[in-house]
Amino acid sequence: MNPNDLPPHPEPVVRVRGLTKAYGGRTVVDRLDLDVHAGEVLGLIGANGAGKTTTVEILQGLRRQDAGEVRVLRLDPHHDADRLRPQIGSQLQSSGLPDRLRVGEAVALFAGPHASDGGALLEQFGLAGKRRSPYAGLSGGERQRLFLVLALLNQPRLVILDELTQGLDPAARREVWSAVAQLRDAGTTVLLVTHELDEAEALCERVVAMRDGRVMDQGTPAELVARHAGEVTVRFGLTETDLTTTADALQSLNRLPGVTGVTRERGQVAVRGDRAAIAHVGAWLLGTGRPVPADLRVDVPDLESALLTLLDSDGSDASDQKGAA
Amino acid sequence: MTATDTLVPPTTDSDRAAATRPGRHPSTTRRLLGTELRLLTRDTITFTFVLAFPVISMLIIGGVFGTEPDEAFPVNPSHWYVASYFTVVIGSTGLIMLPVHMASYRERGVLRRFAASGFPRWSFALAELAIGLGAIAVAGPLLLAIAAPVYGIPDIEDPLRVVAGVVAGSVAFISIGVLLGSVLPSARAAQSVGLMLFFPSFLLGVGGPPPAVMSEPLREVAERLPLALATDAIREPWLGIGDGTGPLIAISVVAVVATALAARRTALS
Repeated sequence: MNPNDLPPHPEPVVRVRGLTKAYGGRTVVDRLDLDVHAGEVLGLIGANGAGKTTTVEILQGLRRQDAGEVRVLRLDPHHDADRLRPQIGSQLQSSGLPDRLRVGEAVALFAGPHASDGGALLEQFGLAGKRRSPYAGLSGGERQRLFLVLALLNQPRLVILDELTQGLDPAARREVWSAVAQLRDAGTTVLLVTHELDEAEALCERVVAMRDGRVMDQGTPAELVARHAGEVTVRFGLTETDLTTTADALQSLNRLPGVTGVTRERGQVAVRGDRAAIAHVGAWLLGTGRPVPADLRVDVPDLESALLTLLDSDGSDASDQKGAA
Repeated sequence: MTATDTLVPPTTDSDRAAATRPGRHPSTTRRLLGTELRLLTRDTITFTFVLAFPVISMLIIGGVFGTEPDEAFPVNPSHWYVASYFTVVIGSTGLIMLPVHMASYRERGVLRRFAASGFPRWSFALAELAIGLGAIAVAGPLLLAIAAPVYGIPDIEDPLRVVAGVVAGSVAFISIGVLLGSVLPSARAAQSVGLMLFFPSFLLGVGGPPPAVMSEPLREVAERLPLALATDAIREPWLGIGDGTGPLIAISVVAVVATALAARRTALS
């Protein structure tokens, strides 16, 4: 993707150029370029060890880079940490609160001079009834929602969420997703670090895929899926009465717009193509005048398929993705 | 949380300024100190150790040697131990309570959360300094209050020097505690190291046998232990068995060095 294709934005909230960080000789972030624009939810995705968490720790000034330029809200995260950190709301991976600290006390502790109404935030995130509950007594989902409240408390200009739903059960994940969706809808700038690709697909307007500390590709989830996840496949069975016309049918399907190939195996037809092919195959089935096959199935590749393809690639195209993410 | 809820996007400086609360907002350090004081009262196990161990030990050992001075004790042995055990409070606060508390916060990512939220680098250490002084201020008088009806409280011969010894000893051991808490990686490590430092110091320098009955090599070691220096700086002017100048200077040097090292090492990470 050419960086010039990105919508013009004079002042990204986060601007990273050539960021490099190594631990004990092992490079974990390798000449990374990254832009996060105001009002967007950007997902930083990749497998464990891709360098995502190190990157966001450097953005918050919790670690110092070995090389490269980092600007967050036009400030240097290391030298301007005291000015920058109050403007960032963050949910850190592997961090907690004292066991005996109560929810209401946590809000009071973290509320700076610019804090919004903590009570309203607790109400909004379903924690109003937990004000007197100690941190140790909260469920996993409640803890993450409390971290979201704390991250938003001081009206941050950038919210960083690192592995927000790690270890949560499906119901708790949905609760947290709903909270992040609220941020997105309100226009808050969010940098979401995750290796849960369904999460990135559901919440992020743009994603940056990392491997070995480098950007493999970037774009909207749909763009990454289109580029890397392979084709859509529509499958359905043909009854024996169709056998005489099977050859004609396959030829007809093969000529449909968006279709790239048709195969038949053990009575099952598989039509491959782009997303438009789904509609055309559907129209073709209706046009036959016969009932819609009961075993009709559509396999649409998702972001996970795209990332797996990217991870399986040799990485030679990573250097082509040097444009700012 | 409902689907109709919306969040106000906090995006501009004017938004932030508009939301500023009227009046003075308590500083981060003050908020942290208030929170830590509340949490200290809920951490019953640790606080009980700091409060109860010196009291129970003092009650036991204070009655072992009677009340008459002899070759081993230049003064009433009970009074010797009452004056001595004041520094057990200081030692247990600095060598056990603070390191375990700080290392536990680091291990669980609490300090990183403070750092990411813009808490000043010094804030937690300053809060712990105040917590340590507070613990000593509560536990010390409590020990004397319990000793009073049992053994009596010995007259303080030179109050100014005793106060100087208490302050220097407290600052020294709180700084040592903050330093240990800053460098030890886990609560378990802090507990192990703290206990290994505390009990030899306690037995040789404070609450064990008097120096007069120790062998020469053991006495040489005991006299140089920081907790023994703090004890001598307090006990000698308290009981009138010396002016405690040498130990006071020595523990003051320890306090300055430990404070400098703790200040250099302290970080919210």
